[in-house]
Amino acid sequence: MSTIRHQLVSPLQLVAMASAGIILLPLGYVTAQALSADPVVWSRLWATRIPELLFNTVSLAASVAIITLILGVSTAWLVTRIEFPGRRLWEGALVLPLAMPTYVLAYIYSYLLGFGGPVEHLWQLVAGPQARIFSPHSFWGATLVMALDTFPFVYLLSRSALLSMNVSFEEVARVSGVSRFSTLWRVTLPLMRPSIAAGVALVILYVVSDFGAVSLLRYQTLTYAVFQQMTGRSDNIAASILSLLLVGLALIFLITERWFRQRSRFYQTSGRYRAPQRRQYGWLGTVAITGYLGVIIGAAFALPAYLLIQWSLSPEALATLDNRFFGFVWNSGILAACAATVGVLIGLPLAYLASRKPTWLNISCLQAAYAGYVLPGPVAALAVLVLFLNVMPFFYGTAIVLIVAYVLHFLPAGLQSLEPALQQITPNLEEVARTLGLGVQETWRRVTLPLIRNGFIAAWVLMFLQIMKELPATLLLRPVGFDTLAIRVWMEASEEYYQLAAPSALLIVLVGLPALALLLSRDWRAA
Amino acid sequence: MSYVCSPFTSRRTILSSLLLLFTAGLIPGFFVPSAQAVDPLTIYSGRSERLIKPVLDAFTASTGIQVELLSSGSTELVNRLKAEGDRTPADLLITNDAGTLELARAAGLLHPLNMREVERAIPSQFRAPDNAWVGLSGRFWIVAYNSTMVQPDQVKSILDLADPKWKDKIAIPNSGSEYLQAGVSVIRTTYGDEKTRQFLQGLKANAGSQVYQKSSQIVDAVAKGQVALGIVNHYYVYRHLAAQPGAPIAVVMPDQQEGGMGAIMNVAGIGVIKSTKHLDSAKLLVEFLVAQAGQKLFADLDKEYPLHQDVKADPALVERKTFRAAQVPLSKLAELREPTLALIEQVGLR
Repeated sequence: MSTIRHQLVSPLQLVAMASAGIILLPLGYVTAQALSADPVVWSRLWATRIPELLFNTVSLAASVAIITLILGVSTAWLVTRIEFPGRRLWEGALVLPLAMPTYVLAYIYSYLLGFGGPVEHLWQLVAGPQARIFSPHSFWGATLVMALDTFPFVYLLSRSALLSMNVSFEEVARVSGVSRFSTLWRVTLPLMRPSIAAGVALVILYVVSDFGAVSLLRYQTLTYAVFQQMTGRSDNIAASILSLLLVGLALIFLITERWFRQRSRFYQTSGRYRAPQRRQYGWLGTVAITGYLGVIIGAAFALPAYLLIQWSLSPEALATLDNRFFGFVWNSGILAACAATVGVLIGLPLAYLASRKPTWLNISCLQAAYAGYVLPGPVAALAVLVLFLNVMPFFYGTAIVLIVAYVLHFLPAGLQSLEPALQQITPNLEEVARTLGLGVQETWRRVTLPLIRNGFIAAWVLMFLQIMKELPATLLLRPVGFDTLAIRVWMEASEEYYQLAAPSALLIVLVGLPALALLLSRDWRAA
Repeated sequence: MSYVCSPFTSRRTILSSLLLLFTAGLIPGFFVPSAQAVDPLTIYSGRSERLIKPVLDAFTASTGIQVELLSSGSTELVNRLKAEGDRTPADLLITNDAGTLELARAAGLLHPLNMREVERAIPSQFRAPDNAWVGLSGRFWIVAYNSTMVQPDQVKSILDLADPKWKDKIAIPNSGSEYLQAGVSVIRTTYGDEKTRQFLQGLKANAGSQVYQKSSQIVDAVAKGQVALGIVNHYYVYRHLAAQPGAPIAVVMPDQQEGGMGAIMNVAGIGVIKSTKHLDSAKLLVEFLVAQAGQKLFADLDKEYPLHQDVKADPALVERKTFRAAQVPLSKLAELREPTLALIEQVGLR
C-alpha cells in the first residue's frame, strides 16, 4: 500500500503539512514576540506579577488535583465494586458535571456562597447571625468549583481501570491473608496508578487553561492575567510573555500525562481475566453510599441545574427570550458548526497520514496538531491575533479569525476521535479495493470514508459542543454582531445578574448533555 | 459494521449540509440580513451594554437607523481599531474614558467634526480641540460607603482609603479599568509619583482580594456590608439606589477640603471613525446624543452628569455647583497613561 503512492508527495500530504504549519505558526509568532521583548518588561513582570501568578496557578492546580483524586477514585470504586440499588443510575450521573461549563458553575457558586447568599443564611441559623463562610471569590472558592467540575475525568479513567483490571491479583492477596483494606491499598490502587495519574494530569491541564471560572471568581491565574493584559494594555508584549510561561507550564503537564498514558498501555490484563464481583451492602451501607454520591452530584450538577431552571423561568429572564436571544443561539450554532467542520476536514488528513504512512514527517504533523492542548483560550486568541496582524491583516475582525482560533484550540479534541477510528480499520480493506481495480479516490469514497464515518461524526459533535461553550477567544475575537450564548452568560454573570444569565447557561448545558452519551461510550477524553 | 451498508445518501446529506454551513460562515452577509433602507451604524462601545443600549435604542426609535453594537473594553477596542485600520466595520467609538478617546485621536483613528450642534451643546473642556471626540456625560470618581458601618466624616479624600484602619474594608476596581487609570493619573499630577505610589500600596493592602471587574459589583459589596467603602463612578451608586431605595449606601464627594485636589472627573464620550462610510448617519447620532433629549437620557437612565448646560442632573445626585472638580484637563489623560500604567504595575495592583 505504502509503495503505491510513495513516489510522489501526495496532495493529501501537502494539505497535512499546510495544516500543521498553520497550527504551529501562531505559537511561533507569540514565542518570537515574547522572546524579543525588551528585557526591562521581563524583569518588571518578574518583579511584580509572575511570582504571584505562578504560585496561584500551581497551588490551584495542586489543590484541585488532590480533591479530584479523592472524589474520582472513591466514586469509581463505589460504582464498580459495590452493588447497591440505583448503582447503574449513579454510574451515568457521575459524568453529568462535565456538561456544566466552569463559568456557569462559578457564577452559580458565587451566588450560593456569596456574601448574604443562601448558604450563608443557613450557616447563620446554626452559628449565629454574625457568622461568615468562606468567600467564593478566593482560592477555596476556585478550588471547589474547579474540583466539582473536573472530577469526572478522574472518575471515568479510574472506572475503566477498575473494570478492566484482572481481579486475580486481588484474590491472590486475599488468599494470602491480606486484609480487604490492605489489598485495596497495596494491590488495587497501585495497579490503577497510571490511569489515575493520567486523569489527574488532565484535570491539571484543564485547571491551568481555565478562564471562565477564575475570571468570575476573581482568582488571579496566568490564563486570566493574559486576558487582562490583552484587554488593559495597548500592546501585547506582556501578554505574550505570560502566554509563553503558560504554554511552558501546560507543556510540562501534557508531557506528564502522555508519559503516564504510554505506561498505562503496557499494563497487563492478559491471562485468565475475570471481572470483579460486586459486594452487596446492607441498608446502612446503601444509605451512606447514596448520601455520599448524592451530595457530590447535588453540588456539582443537580442543584446548579435546578437553580438555572428556576432562574430561567423568572419573569426577568423570560423577558429576554426575544429575537435577539435567538440571534445569539444562531451565532453560537453557526460558529461552532463552521469551526467543527473545518476542524474535521483538517484533522482527517493529519490522522489518516499518521496512521497509514507513519513517517517521521507525518507523525510530526499530527503531533503539531495537538498544540492546541497547551494553548489556553486567551493564548490561542493572542496567537491567532498576532499571526493575522502580521501576515493577513485583511482578515482581522472577521469571523475567519475566530474560527481559526477555535480550530487551533479544539483540534486535539477532534483528533482524539478521528485517530482511533482510523486505527481500527485495517489497511487490508483498502488494499483489497485497490487490487480489485478501484482508483485512489474511489477507494477513499467507497471504502475508507464509510468506515470512518462514525469517528468522523463523533469528532464533529465533540468539537461542536466544546466550541459552543468557548469563552475567552470568543470575547477577544468576535466580530460585530457575533455575541454568542457563552458571551451573554459571562456578560450578565460578571455583573451578577443571575437571572438574566440563566437561559443562555441552561441552553449550553442542555446542548452539552448528548455529548456525555458519546463520552461514556467512546471518547472520555474530549469533554 | 452495519453502518457500512447504510445508504450513501445520508452521509452525503450530512456532509453537504456541513459544507453548506461552512461556506455560509464565510459569506459575511449571511449573518446579517440587511433589509433596511439606510445602512445600520456599527458602534464599538467600551461602556457597559446595560448603560448604553437604551440610549441607542432611543436613537433607533427616533431616526429609524439601526445600530450594531460590539461591547467590549475601551482599550481593547482601540487596539482593535488600530489593527483593523481602514478595513474596520466600525462607524463610531464610544468609551467610558476621555483618555482612551484621546489616544484614539492621537493614533489618527477619529474623524474631526465641524458641527455647530456639538459646539453649542458641549463646553470645550469636554471635547477634543478638533471635536474628533466629544464628551457625552460626566462622571466622578467617588467614595461609596455603607451608612451602617461608616460615618460620612470619616473619609475626606480618596487618599484616606489607603489608611491601614480600612484593612480588608474597601473594594476597588481592577487595574485594567480605564477610570482607575485616569484617577491615578490625576492623583499623580496633583501629588507626584512618590505619594501616589504610597497611596496605591496602601490601597492594594487594604483591598486584599476585594478587587472587582465591574463597578456594579463594588456597589453591591458596599450596600450588602461586605466592605465598608468602595471607589466607583458615582452613577453606579445612584442607579443602585434607584432600584433599591432603602439600601444603606451613600456617597462622599471626596477631596473637597481646603487645598484638596477636588473630585476626579472623567467623561464618557464618542468619536466618529475616520474610515466610516456612513458619516451622515454617524453625525446624526452624535447630534442626537449631545442634544437636550439625548443628554436627558444619560441623566435619567444612567444617573450621570449631563454635559449640556441646560440639562439638569438627576435631583438625587450631589448638585454639580456645590463641589469642585480636579484641575487636570481631560485631553492630558492620554499622555499620562503610560507612566501611570508603569506605576500601577510596579505596585502590583491586580
